[in-house]
Amino acid sequence: MAEKMTFKINGLDRTVEIEPEMMLIDLLRDELNLTGTKRGCDNSTCGTCVVVLNGKAVKSCNTLASKAAGADVITVEGLASGMELHPIQKAIAESGAVQCGFCTPGIVMELYGLLETNPEAGETEMTNALNKHLCRCTGYEPIRDGALIAQKMMKEHAKAK
Amino acid sequence: MDLKYVGKTYIRPDAISKVTGKAIYLDDIRLPDMLHAVVLRPKYAHARIKKVDTAEAEKCPGVYKVVTGAGCKFRYGDNIKDLQPMAVDKVRYIGDPVAAVIADTPAHARAAVEKIVVDYEPLPVYTDAREAIKPGAALIHEGHEKYWRLPTLHETADSNIANTYHLHKGRGEEGFDEAEVIIEEEFNYPLGSCAAIEPHGTIVWFKEDRTIEVWSTSICPFIIREDLANSYGVPVGDVRVHTPDLGGCFGYKSDITTEQTIAWIASFAPGRPVKWVASREEDFTSTLLAHGIRTRMKMGAKKDGTLVALKSTIYHTGGAYADTAVNVTIASTHNSTGPYEFKHCDLTGYTVYTNTPAVGAYRGYGHQESQIATERMMDLMARKLGMDALALRKKNFLSEGKVNAVGETMWKHNGNLLECATRVEKMLFSKPKPAEDADYVYGRSMVTVMKSPKGAPFSTKGCYMKMNVDGSVTINMGGAEVGQGLRTIIRQIAGEALKIAPERVRVYTEIDTQYSPYEWQTIGSMFTTQGGRAIIRAADKLITLLKNTAAQVLKTDVDYLEYEGDYVILRNDPTIRVATAELARGYITDDGITIGDLAQSVSDARLPRYSNPDKNGQGSIGVTYTMGAQAVELRIEKKTGKILVDHFYSVFDVGQVINPLQIRGSVLGGVTMAIGAALYEEVVFDAEGHITNPQLFKYHLPTYKESVEQTIEFVETPDPIGPFGARGIGEHSVIGAAPAILNAIYDAIGVDLFEIPATPEKVKKALEARKEPK
Repeated sequence: MAEKMTFKINGLDRTVEIEPEMMLIDLLRDELNLTGTKRGCDNSTCGTCVVVLNGKAVKSCNTLASKAAGADVITVEGLASGMELHPIQKAIAESGAVQCGFCTPGIVMELYGLLETNPEAGETEMTNALNKHLCRCTGYEPIRDGALIAQKMMKEHAKAK
Repeated sequence: MDLKYVGKTYIRPDAISKVTGKAIYLDDIRLPDMLHAVVLRPKYAHARIKKVDTAEAEKCPGVYKVVTGAGCKFRYGDNIKDLQPMAVDKVRYIGDPVAAVIADTPAHARAAVEKIVVDYEPLPVYTDAREAIKPGAALIHEGHEKYWRLPTLHETADSNIANTYHLHKGRGEEGFDEAEVIIEEEFNYPLGSCAAIEPHGTIVWFKEDRTIEVWSTSICPFIIREDLANSYGVPVGDVRVHTPDLGGCFGYKSDITTEQTIAWIASFAPGRPVKWVASREEDFTSTLLAHGIRTRMKMGAKKDGTLVALKSTIYHTGGAYADTAVNVTIASTHNSTGPYEFKHCDLTGYTVYTNTPAVGAYRGYGHQESQIATERMMDLMARKLGMDALALRKKNFLSEGKVNAVGETMWKHNGNLLECATRVEKMLFSKPKPAEDADYVYGRSMVTVMKSPKGAPFSTKGCYMKMNVDGSVTINMGGAEVGQGLRTIIRQIAGEALKIAPERVRVYTEIDTQYSPYEWQTIGSMFTTQGGRAIIRAADKLITLLKNTAAQVLKTDVDYLEYEGDYVILRNDPTIRVATAELARGYITDDGITIGDLAQSVSDARLPRYSNPDKNGQGSIGVTYTMGAQAVELRIEKKTGKILVDHFYSVFDVGQVINPLQIRGSVLGGVTMAIGAALYEEVVFDAEGHITNPQLFKYHLPTYKESVEQTIEFVETPDPIGPFGARGIGEHSVIGAAPAILNAIYDAIGVDLFEIPATPEKVKKALEARKEPK
């Protein structure tokens, strides 16, 4: 039975109809056409579907869409403000962390979930977060570089404010 | 050479669309009135199909059509036409398409596909070439000798041998009579998967005007175009194939993979686009696998360490269809010499039909699979000779004046392997190896490797270049951006050739056979070399054209003019000049009369004199090589047998670095993949031919925590073919890790391993047999 659900997606209130077994990834990709969130596996292993739900990075492929009721969901499409990229996006673009780019949205959102709530995240937290994501292109070093640059940029932004 | 833009880091033009989630990959494409297909895979890996009952599936909600292979009359394939889009009378591997449902949603199609009932008669299953090659083995393709194949291929009738390639150099096996020391061993590089994070997918649309439009996760849209035109009897130009952004390739999105199957299905829904996207499981079971190469190697040397003879026999578990495997076998066979000269070679490669998914390209294309043997054998030979392993290698390098297996003479411009090796040697041995402690025992090793491209006679790359009215340039090519960064490279090479900033060069974002210049396929680490050459050729033509127009404007002869990027100037008086931008549409004079041609040019480039192999399996079939040295420092956890790689070193002679950030990224990623293959990855089959680990939580890709610290350097001996001296490097970094790791295990515990992955179980066992290394 389809049910109505209201939630905030990338800053806008939306009311959608969802089936009880629908996953958040399907709501985002198929109903809302937010195709920046990717599907790379069948069993919540690869991490490329990660979005931020109420400030926390979650895998949208194993999160029921109904979990988003009344919640605040941010996807990769919601990070930039107009033409201005989020520092995480800037850093990831410039560090060499992007090759094929298919794992990128998930990694960007993972870092957003981590660094927005914990700007001082240390190596262990960073490593544990990034270890949830598979990348076949980069060997991970440029992703680590990008994450560290992003953290630095975000701290500087916060100071400037 | 004084270079302005080549050799500097530029950020890739597609980085922004990728970090904002706006890059469009196959599964992001939505077309009007689109239907969805789900494919039924068989219960058995080898069986006759007795009956397919689709009645219940047809009644399911949302179902548009249920499709089977009944009535399919054609076969396809670029090298051997042994493929069919859907099983007709038998299935040959566990991912063979048996039937499919087209429905309004993927969920409806998935539900209905489960209602299809198939009656099978199981047949014997072979998952290893050694079993399938035995006399009396059941035939996987009865009558395969009747299939069309390239004239250079040689099948064996009434057997599962799809092709035998043989190379004879010098006196072949007879040459071993000159050897004073002979060793022989067998090595295995098992089946694996490219496992790009984006799975395969295809959309096919048979239109009422009898054209066919296709979108696919493929790096060979031009091959798909020709293949579908041939199968469905329409002119090639009536098939339009798009390649959207690709989420990684690493080989298995080359050649034709799933497109013919989806086209067959879509042909039953004329007028409507039909989309299929592989589940991760299907990506393992039903697209191309990698490797599956077992190498038996015999090596002969003089007592002073001069190598004299090599015999390699390669048994390739090629899979149920050999079309894509056959060239991997050939490349693996003639490159099994590694970067060394052998006066006599007897190299044989068997591509064998097995009941496993077809093997196709994987980054490295046969090289790491046979050079795991070569590089282990070099260490074993050195031990037998009582010689230093590196000294043995250096003595036999394919250096200037030496002749490789295929008969090509090596020149200085083929690269300075000695310099690569010397640098890695310094890095590895400048400090003592850590002594064994309570928890770990340490090992290290270095290897040297080489790779050629794998071309084809028509493997050209086209380039279309136009200058815009503001002097900016737009470039269109057919090269597939899979993440390797070719769009950045195009900008830099074009900027250098045209003397304008790379930021003023706009590069294409998708391939569309309707607009894109022809490209065979983007494989073999050839884009920088060939594509770059095509760009330079196009730039030269464009500059000539601009100068011709400028000569009329400046009222002089062309040979007195210089092209300077923004201006064409008179050489003896640079104040007499015309802005290039003013020449872009031809030059418009004050009275409105326009002179000169539109500033555009077309070109292409292939490997010079690339040829088919001759009767000895030799010829100009390598053409250009990149060589290098790699080394590993590792530790073995004594309690568990787990291997921890502490550091990995790579030095390659790439001729000219184009983009330092990207080339480092390429090697970092390649080494990581190869460490994955060496330590963790293997597609495992049970006796019935089922894959037991077709999921990413079971097939262990290297993770963030397992990434390895790497030192990467480049030697730059300019290449005469590549742009500004650059050579290919995309694949080379994957070759050394497996033999380096196995050699380092010997260095640590004195036990020889002959296959990968070196799992903790295998290493634990080796620890029990531990000896003092010699």
